[in-house]
Amino acid sequence: MTGPLLEVEALSVAFGPKLNPVRAVDAVSFTVNAGEAVGIVGESGSGKSVTSLAILRLVPDPPGRIVGGRIRFAGADLLSLPPARMPEIRGRDIGMIFQEPMSSLNPVMTIGDQITEAVMLHERISARRRRALALEMLDLVGIPNPAERFLSYPHQFSGGMRQRVMIAMALVCRPKLVIADEPTTALDVTIQAQVLALMNRIRSTFGTAILIISHDFGVIAEVADRVVVMYAGRIVEQGDVRSIFRHPAHPYTRGLLQSIPRLEDDRRRLYQIPGSVPAPGARSAGCPFCPRCPDRLPICANAMPPMAEVGPSHHTACWTNPGASVAGAQ
Amino acid sequence: MTPPLIRLDEIAKSFAPPGRFGIIDRGRPVRAVDGVSFEVQAGETLALVGESGCGKSTTGRLILRLLEPSAGRIFYEATDLTALSAGAMRGMRRHLQMIFQDPYGSLSPRRTVAEIIAEPLDAHGLVGSRAERRERVMALLGQVGLSPEHASRYPRQFSGGQRQRIGIARALAVGPRLIIADEPVSALDVSVQAQIVNLLQDLQESTGVAYVFIAHDLAVVRHIADRIAVMYLGRVVEIGEKRRIYAAPHHPYTQALLSAVPQPDPDVRGRRIVLEGDVPSPTDVPVGCRFHTRCPLATELCRHETPLLREIAPGQSAACHYARPNPISLAA
Repeated sequence: MTGPLLEVEALSVAFGPKLNPVRAVDAVSFTVNAGEAVGIVGESGSGKSVTSLAILRLVPDPPGRIVGGRIRFAGADLLSLPPARMPEIRGRDIGMIFQEPMSSLNPVMTIGDQITEAVMLHERISARRRRALALEMLDLVGIPNPAERFLSYPHQFSGGMRQRVMIAMALVCRPKLVIADEPTTALDVTIQAQVLALMNRIRSTFGTAILIISHDFGVIAEVADRVVVMYAGRIVEQGDVRSIFRHPAHPYTRGLLQSIPRLEDDRRRLYQIPGSVPAPGARSAGCPFCPRCPDRLPICANAMPPMAEVGPSHHTACWTNPGASVAGAQ
Repeated sequence: MTPPLIRLDEIAKSFAPPGRFGIIDRGRPVRAVDGVSFEVQAGETLALVGESGCGKSTTGRLILRLLEPSAGRIFYEATDLTALSAGAMRGMRRHLQMIFQDPYGSLSPRRTVAEIIAEPLDAHGLVGSRAERRERVMALLGQVGLSPEHASRYPRQFSGGQRQRIGIARALAVGPRLIIADEPVSALDVSVQAQIVNLLQDLQESTGVAYVFIAHDLAVVRHIADRIAVMYLGRVVEIGEKRRIYAAPHHPYTQALLSAVPQPDPDVRGRRIVLEGDVPSPTDVPVGCRFHTRCPLATELCRHETPLLREIAPGQSAACHYARPNPISLAA
C-alpha cells in the first residue's frame, strides 16, 4: 500500500476579484483510498461541488481559481500538471457523473458513440470493437435492448436511462475513481433507488473508488463508507459512516441529522437549526457555524477550531471537542 | 354531517399533444389526470404524493381552476366550482389559495414585500384604509416569522426560506380555508426545510386552514399529513390515514415507493424493493392496471382489468386486485 488513491490537502478555492476574493472552499483536506466510497455532504454554499470540480481542475477561471493546497491522485500532483495533461486524467483515470444528464450529453451524437468517445480519445480501437464495447457498457448499466438502444439519441431516453448512460460513459475506461456530483438529485425516488443500486454493484464488481457529493444524508448513507461534512466552505466533521450517523460530533451535523424528516417517526415538529447558511463573503474569522450554534463558546467567534480526533477515524473541527484545544496548542 | 371542505368527483384533465413546427399534431392526448376523486375535510392536511408525471401538481391546479378540468366536478362545500363563471371563481379564491415550489418565480421582483402581501387584500376588498392595510401586512409578517423592517424590501434581498415565508404570508392574507401547497419545501436546504414544515403546522393550528400538500418526499409528508393519497400515472392508487399508509401500505406501488426512500441510516442500506423500468408515458397509458408493467405481482387479470379504488381496511382504500386486509408484502 502506497498511500491513498486521492489525497486532497489544504485545498482552497476563491471566487471573485483578486482584491476581495470569496473563499468557496477553505483549507479542505481528505483522502479516498482505492476501492473506497467517500461521501461529501452539505447544504447549498457548503463548497462540496466546487471541491469536486477543483479535483478535476474544472473550476471555471475566471471567476474561480485554486488558491492553495495540493491534490495528489495515484502518485501524481494534479495541480502541478500542465493543463494539457488533464484530459488524460479526466475520463480515463477519473470518471465523472453529474446531476444533469441532459446537459452533459451531446444531443446530436448517438448513445453508443458517446459512451465510447472517451476510449477513442485515449486509444485507437476498431469500429467493431467500439460497437462491442458500447453494447457491453449498456448491458452493464442495465439498459434493455442494447443492440437497438446504442443508435438512439439522448432525447429518446428517460431521465433515469440518461443517468445510466452517464454512468456507462464514466466507467468505460475502467477508471480508478468515479466522482459523482448529486447523481440522483434530478431523479424520481424509484429511479434513484435503481441508480444507487447500480453504483453499489459497479463498485463491488470493479473495485472502483467513489467520491459521491450530495445534500441528502439518505443517499450518502446508502453509498459511502466514510463521510465528509462541509459547511460554508469548511470541513466540520469527517469519519466512518456509522460514527457520523450514530455519534455525530459537530453541532451542525447533529442539528442536520435531527432536522431530517424520517420515514419511521412522526413527530409533529421537526428540530430546526435557527437562521440560514451565511452568504459567501459574510464569514468571520471564527467557526462559520458559530452564529447558528446552540453550543457555542466565547472562543468560537474569534478562532477557527482545528480538526481533532473524537474517536477512531473520526475527526471534527469544534471547540466543544476537548481534543480541539490540545490540537490548537500544537 | 357537514359536507367536506373540498370534494373531487372523477376529475380528469387531458392536454392536447404538442404540435410540431406549428402544425397541429393529431397524436394521442396526454392524460395527466384520469378520474381522481377524494375529499378534504376542514382543517386537515391531505398529502398528494407520487413521482413526476403522476398528475399531483395538475390535480392541485385543477382544484383552483388554474387549469380547466376536461371532465368531472369539484365542490367547495356545496358550491360546484366547475360550474362557476371566471368572475365568480375569482371571488372563490378568497377561500382557496396556493403556495408554489419556487418562491423565486412566484414573487414579483419589482414589488416590495408589503405590496406583494397586500395585493390579495386589495383584490378581494378586504381592507378599507391604508392604516388598516399596513396593520394587516405587519401582522402577517409576524405570523410567518418575518420582522416589520422586511416590509419595504424586495424579494431578491431574501434567502430561499424567507421567500417561501413571503409566499405563505401572501396566501394567508385573505384568510383562506384551503391552501394548495405545491412542493413548498422541495427547493429548500434541509435545515431550512424543517423551519418551513414547522411553520406550516403552526399556522394550521392557529388558523384552522386545510392543506393539500403536494410532495414527492414521503419523509416530509410523514410529518405534515393527516391523510395521504398516492398517485401513479394520473390516478389515485391508494388513499388513507397516514398511520395506516406507512404502517401497512396495501398497493404494491406504495410499498415500493416507501421502500425506495434512501434512509439516513447506514444499517438499512440495500434493503429495498427496486422497481424495474420507468414510469410509462402518459400518452400511452397501459391497459388494465396502470402499474402492471412495473409490478412484481402482476398477473393476467392486471393486464386486462383496471382495478378500482376500494376500501381494504377502515380509512384506507387501494386500487389493486390483490389488496387484502392482510397485505401481501413485496419486501417479505
